[in-house]
Amino acid sequence: MNLETLYQKVYAGGRLSPEEGLFILKNHQLLDLGGVANDVRHRTNPRRHVTFVVDTNPNYTNICNVDCIFCAFYRHEGEEGGYTYSVDQMIENFKRSAANGVTTILLQGGVNPKIPFEYYCEMVERTVREVPGVTPHFWSTSEIIGMSQVSGLTVPRVLQRLWDAGQRTIPGGGAEILADRVKRKISHLKGSSADWLNVMRDAHKIGFKSTATMMYGHLETDEDIIEHLESIRKLQDEYHGFTAFVPWSFKPGNTPLEKIIPRYATPMRYLQMIAFSRVYLDNFDHIQASWFSEGKKTGQIALHFGADDFGGTLFEENVHAAANFVNKTNIDEVLQLIHDAGFIPAQRTTLYDVLRVYEKAAAA
Amino acid sequence: MTIKFRDPFLHPIWTKIQSGERLSLEEGLALYKTDDLISLGKMANFVQCQRSGDAVYFVLNQKIEHTNICVLSCKFCDFAVKKGDPAAYEMTTEEILSKLTPEIHEVHITGGMPADWPWERYLDIVRSVHQQFPHADVKAYTAVEIDFFHKKFKLSIEDVLRQLKAAGLRTMPGGGAEVFSERARKLLFNQKIGAKTWFEVHKTAHKLGIPTNSTMLYGHVETLEERLIHMIKLREAQDETGGFLTFIPLAFQPGDTGIKPRDQFTSAIDDLKTIAVSRLMLDNIPHIKAYWVMLTEEVASIALNFGADDMDGTVGQERIAHDAGATSPMKLAKDQIIKIITDAGKIPVERDVYYNPLNVYAENVIGKIPYLNSVPFYHHFEQRQFKMLPVAPRRMGLLEEKGQIAAGLFSLMDYYRQEEQLDLLRWCIATRDQVKSVMLFSNHGWRDLDGKLIGITDDTATSVKLLEVLLEEKYNVSATFRRLTTGVNDYSAYDAVLLIGDEALHANKFGLDTFELVYDLAKEWYDWQKLPFVFAVWATKKSLPASMKDELGEIIEHSLNESGNRFGEIGELAGRRIGLTKSEVEDYLAGFNYSLGERERESMREFRQLAGRVGKMAKHTPPL
Repeated sequence: MNLETLYQKVYAGGRLSPEEGLFILKNHQLLDLGGVANDVRHRTNPRRHVTFVVDTNPNYTNICNVDCIFCAFYRHEGEEGGYTYSVDQMIENFKRSAANGVTTILLQGGVNPKIPFEYYCEMVERTVREVPGVTPHFWSTSEIIGMSQVSGLTVPRVLQRLWDAGQRTIPGGGAEILADRVKRKISHLKGSSADWLNVMRDAHKIGFKSTATMMYGHLETDEDIIEHLESIRKLQDEYHGFTAFVPWSFKPGNTPLEKIIPRYATPMRYLQMIAFSRVYLDNFDHIQASWFSEGKKTGQIALHFGADDFGGTLFEENVHAAANFVNKTNIDEVLQLIHDAGFIPAQRTTLYDVLRVYEKAAAA
Repeated sequence: MTIKFRDPFLHPIWTKIQSGERLSLEEGLALYKTDDLISLGKMANFVQCQRSGDAVYFVLNQKIEHTNICVLSCKFCDFAVKKGDPAAYEMTTEEILSKLTPEIHEVHITGGMPADWPWERYLDIVRSVHQQFPHADVKAYTAVEIDFFHKKFKLSIEDVLRQLKAAGLRTMPGGGAEVFSERARKLLFNQKIGAKTWFEVHKTAHKLGIPTNSTMLYGHVETLEERLIHMIKLREAQDETGGFLTFIPLAFQPGDTGIKPRDQFTSAIDDLKTIAVSRLMLDNIPHIKAYWVMLTEEVASIALNFGADDMDGTVGQERIAHDAGATSPMKLAKDQIIKIITDAGKIPVERDVYYNPLNVYAENVIGKIPYLNSVPFYHHFEQRQFKMLPVAPRRMGLLEEKGQIAAGLFSLMDYYRQEEQLDLLRWCIATRDQVKSVMLFSNHGWRDLDGKLIGITDDTATSVKLLEVLLEEKYNVSATFRRLTTGVNDYSAYDAVLLIGDEALHANKFGLDTFELVYDLAKEWYDWQKLPFVFAVWATKKSLPASMKDELGEIIEHSLNESGNRFGEIGELAGRRIGLTKSEVEDYLAGFNYSLGERERESMREFRQLAGRVGKMAKHTPPL
C-alpha cells in the first residue's frame, strides 16, 4: 500500500477499504490529504457555496441518568441547578427564536425518566402547529431510547409516533465513538454503538433524515475512528438517511474525563478528521465544519480541507458553554467568516435545501 | 515534487520556486489572491522543509515591559499611557530581575518611552539582566526606541547600539516596522519612525554583529500591494546585510483602538496566506515565526505546515497584545508548545537567540549538515521513519552528547569524543586535495599569526582543531581563538577569521570584509601530509535498533547512487543561494570523496594523533 495509489483510487471514484483508510490515517501528510479532500468536496459540491443554517440549540431539561464522563452539562434528579421546562415554556422560547429568523430548532436534553412520552409528542406537534417556518430537529438517540423505556413502546413505534406528530429530522448527537471498547469507558450507561445505529436505522427506514456525528480526542485510537466511519458508511448505503457528517473534538473542561484527557485535541487533528471523513465517506453529501466547537478560525480553514457546511448560527449553546467553551456568533458574523474564507455563504434548511445565496459577500 | 493545482495561475510560480528563483510583486499578489489555499501551503511547506527540515524552533523566553509611560500616542496601541495616569507603572532594574526565571533562554525587553529616564537606566537594565542571567540572551529595544535614544541622548545610532552591545545586548526585536507604507503610516502611526529610520537602525545593528528580527503589522488599513512592498523592502535590505534572523507577521488586534470594530480579527485564511506568502517571497530570511499570541494557538499550529518554522515559547506576560484583546491564553506551557509542534508533524527544537538548537524533543532525528558539500547525501534522501534536523556540525555534536540525535554526519572531532556511543558507517565527507569551504581569511601570513586573535565560526568542531594543528605543528605559532556568533559578526575586531561550509564558499568567491589573505585548510593539510582530510563521518547511535541502522544505510546508499556524478544538477539550487554558478558547484562537489576508504582512515589516524598533541581530546569542545 502506498499513499499515492490510494489517493489515485479516491480520484478515480473508488471506495477505500477500512485497511486502506487506516493506512491513510496513520501515514498521511496533512496538506496532501487536505488537497485530496478539497478535490472530492468540489466534485461532490462543485459550487463555491458554503451552507449554514440559522438555528438555536435550547435544552428542555438537564436532568439525566446516563452519567457520561465527557459531559459537564447534566444534573441528577433533585440536584441543585437541575431544571425541566414545560412544553408551554419551550414553545414560547421557540416563538422568540422564530421571530429572530431561526429555521431549525435543535432540541436536546438529558435522559429524564420523570418526563412522560406524551410530553415529547406534544412538543413536536405544537411546534409544527404553532411555530410555522421552523423545523423541529429534536432528540438524540439516547432520549429516543429513554422514551421507549418510559412508554413501553418499541423504538420504531416511538419514532413512528414522532413522525406522525410531524417530526422529519433528528440530530445525530450521542454517537461519540461507535466502538464499544471506547464507548463503554466514556458513556457506559448510554448504550452500545449498536443502539445508536439501530435507532438511526429505524429512523431512516421510516423516512427521517439525520446527521451523523463523531466526538474524538479522548480515548479512541485511529482504529476506533475507522470503525466509527465504516459503521455509518454502511448504514448510509442502506437508506441514504444521513444529510451530513459532523466531527467534533472532546472538550475536557469541567468533566470527569478531564482528569484522564487534560488537553484539547489540536486543530491539526480536527483538520485531519474533516479531510479524512470527506475522503472516506464517499456516500455523504456534506461534511460540516463545526466552528462552535473548534473555534472560528479553525472552522474557516476546515472549509479548505473538505468541509462544505458551516453548521448553525446557534443562538443558544448550553452544553459547550457549561464546559467553559463559549463561542457566540450571529448571522452577520457567519456570513463574514464564510466570505473571508473565500466562499459564497448560502443559508439552508435542516434538510440542506438552499434558502438564500449571499452572492454579494457578507453584510459587513 | 508534483502539486495538483486547482488554480492554474500557480503553475508558473511553482516552477520558479522549485528552481529557487525570486518572486515578483505580481507573483506575490497572485499567491495572495488564489482560492487554492492548500496548494499555496504546500509550496510554502516545500521551502520551509528545504530550509529547516522537519524542525520547528521555539525559545523559552520572558517578556519585560519596563514601563507603559510613553511620549507617543499611536492609534493602534492601547498599552501606552501618560505619566500620572492611574495605570502608569515604571519598573526598577531590581523589579525586572525579580520577575525573571532561570530556565529561560531569552529576555525580550521593550516598553514605552518616558520623557524622564536617563540613558544609563536603559543600559543598566540590559547589563544587569545579562550579568544575572548569563544563559539568557537579551533581545531588547525596538528601532523606535533606539531612534528615541539617539535623539534624546544626542548619541549616534551606532553609538547607542555599540553601548547596548557592550552592556550585553544580543539581538533586537523587529517591532516598529508596522507596514512600510507612508500612506498607512500617516493614517495610523504618524508619530512613529518611518521605513527609512527603521532600516537605518537595523542595518547599523547588523554591521555591529547584532542580528535582528523583522515584523509586519497587517490587517488594518494596508493593501495587499503594500504588504508585498513591505516584504520586498526587507528582502532587499537582507541582500545587503544578511542580519535578519526571522520575519514575524503580526495580525492586527482591533481591541479598543477604534481602527476596526473590536471583534473584527483577521481571518484564518488571511493569516495562513500571509505566513505562506512571506515564506515564498522572503527567500533570504531564514525563519518565519507564527506568533501565536496574536494569531491564536489554533492558527499558529496549522501555520507550521504553511511555511512557519518558529514559535514563541512560554511567554511570561504579553501586555501589549493582551490589552488589545488577544484571545490566546496568557501562557503556553513548554509541553503544550512541544505537543503543538509534534502534532503538526514537526520536531520541536528548543533554540537560543541565534537559532542554535539546544534541545530536540523527538525520536529518530537525523542531523543534516546544511551545506552544499553534503547535498549528494540528501538530494534523494527518503526520510521514511526518520526526521530531519539541519544543524551545523558543532551543534550536532552537542546534541549528540545529550543523546538527542539518532544518526548523522558527525564532525570528526565529535565522532572521536563520542566514539563509545556511536557506530561508524561507511560514508564520510573527505577532501581530495583542496576544499574551498574551510577557509582562513587573514590579515597576516601563517607565521605572523602568533599571538593574534582569530575569530572562529560557531559551526566548527573539526576545522578549528585542524587550524590549531596547522598553527602549532606546521608553523609553530600559537594564536588566541574566539568564537564568533552564528549569523552576522563585526569582523573588524579580528586579525583572522575561520569560516566553514557555505559561508566560507560565499566569502571565498566574494571576499570577506577587508581580509586580504585566504588560506584553504584542506590544501594546507594535503601539501603537508599528502593525505585527504576527513571532516565528517556518518555514524549512528549504538542503541539504534539494527533494523533502523540497516534502513539508514540503504537510504544513504540509494541517495548517493541517485545523485551519481550529476553534481551540477543536484547542487544547482543550493549553489544559487550562495552565488555559485552551476559549473562552480560541479567543480566544488567533484573535490569530495563520500566513501570512507583506506586513505581516509589513514588520514583520520594521523590527524587524531596530531590533534591529541596540540590539545587534549577533551570531553567538551575546548573553551576558546
